[in-house]
Amino acid sequence: MKKRILIAAGAIGVFLGLFGSWVTYEGLHRTSDDKFCIVCHEMAPMVSAYHTDPHGGQGESGFKASCVSCHMPHDNVFNYIYTKAKNGVVEGAIHFFGDVDAIDWHANRKNRDKFVYDDGCISCHSNYKTNAFISPKGQQMHTHYDALLGTDKQIGCASCHVEVGHKGLRTVLNYYKPEYEYYEGKFDAEKEAVEKGLIEAFKKGE
Amino acid sequence: MSGGKTLAIAGVFLVLGVMSLIGGESDSPLKPIVITPELREEYPLKSHHAKLSLECVFCHEGQGDNPREFKMIGDEGCLSCHQSKEHVAERLAFMDKLHVNPHNSIHDGPTLYCDECHNEHKPSTNMCAECHEHDIDLWMGPTP
Repeated sequence: MKKRILIAAGAIGVFLGLFGSWVTYEGLHRTSDDKFCIVCHEMAPMVSAYHTDPHGGQGESGFKASCVSCHMPHDNVFNYIYTKAKNGVVEGAIHFFGDVDAIDWHANRKNRDKFVYDDGCISCHSNYKTNAFISPKGQQMHTHYDALLGTDKQIGCASCHVEVGHKGLRTVLNYYKPEYEYYEGKFDAEKEAVEKGLIEAFKKGE
Repeated sequence: MSGGKTLAIAGVFLVLGVMSLIGGESDSPLKPIVITPELREEYPLKSHHAKLSLECVFCHEGQGDNPREFKMIGDEGCLSCHQSKEHVAERLAFMDKLHVNPHNSIHDGPTLYCDECHNEHKPSTNMCAECHEHDIDLWMGPTP
């Protein structure tokens, strides 16, 4: 009798464990792409620039990285879930209660090393040190990057690869918020085209 | 006769040996450049390059190990990292709408030398200002 209870309890445990894993996996997976993130996250220009980038499906292979591939830590699953939950709360709060117009996107680009995670880049670009397609200068810089790892001078992938993942980001940001007054009101047509493009891309399920 | 031949062969080897020694010396690795505070003051880096802890020889490649004898690196040097003039023009594409993209200027297109405006170890200038001194502050920020 005791044995049966033990077996039943074990079976229920396995079922609950698998079910929990499945829910977690699906939950994390379905909340990882631009379509989901843009619901709360103020990032129309970033998504638009991403759609024209090799990382957004415009490369030769058509491969598409998702937002979380680069913008979440991949060192361990707990840190990943914690960062994601924290971002969700913060972004949601800014979206619903914050002053969205006050966000200085141009200035925020300077913080790119904080919101682009190298372990995400390297999980795909694992051969960045040996890839023969990288120019000699690129290889020299990657060796330099490696030499600075763990020192107080450490740099990130995005330190040099400034618009990586979002082709023409500075330009699209200017359509929304011009850096200089002179351009104020001059990009209405471009901004409208970007918004239209986004709606169409999401309709197509891209 | 055979003694003379041996001597000639030995002579050839001796000459070759000396040549290889001289050649070997010129290939010896350069002394690493220690960037002293004085050097840093004399040849300061732009903040965006300083942040990357770039070393002198990354730009001044094959120019020896004496910073005081380094030469300008020219467009080719800049573009070994910054890709191409068209690429840097593309990065400022929004400025094209009002024809004020300095990397794709209405007068010159993407053809200007980098150092017409950009300097590394001294303040940069803005060539546009030579004629448009009253307007450029509206169009663009300080030249990096």
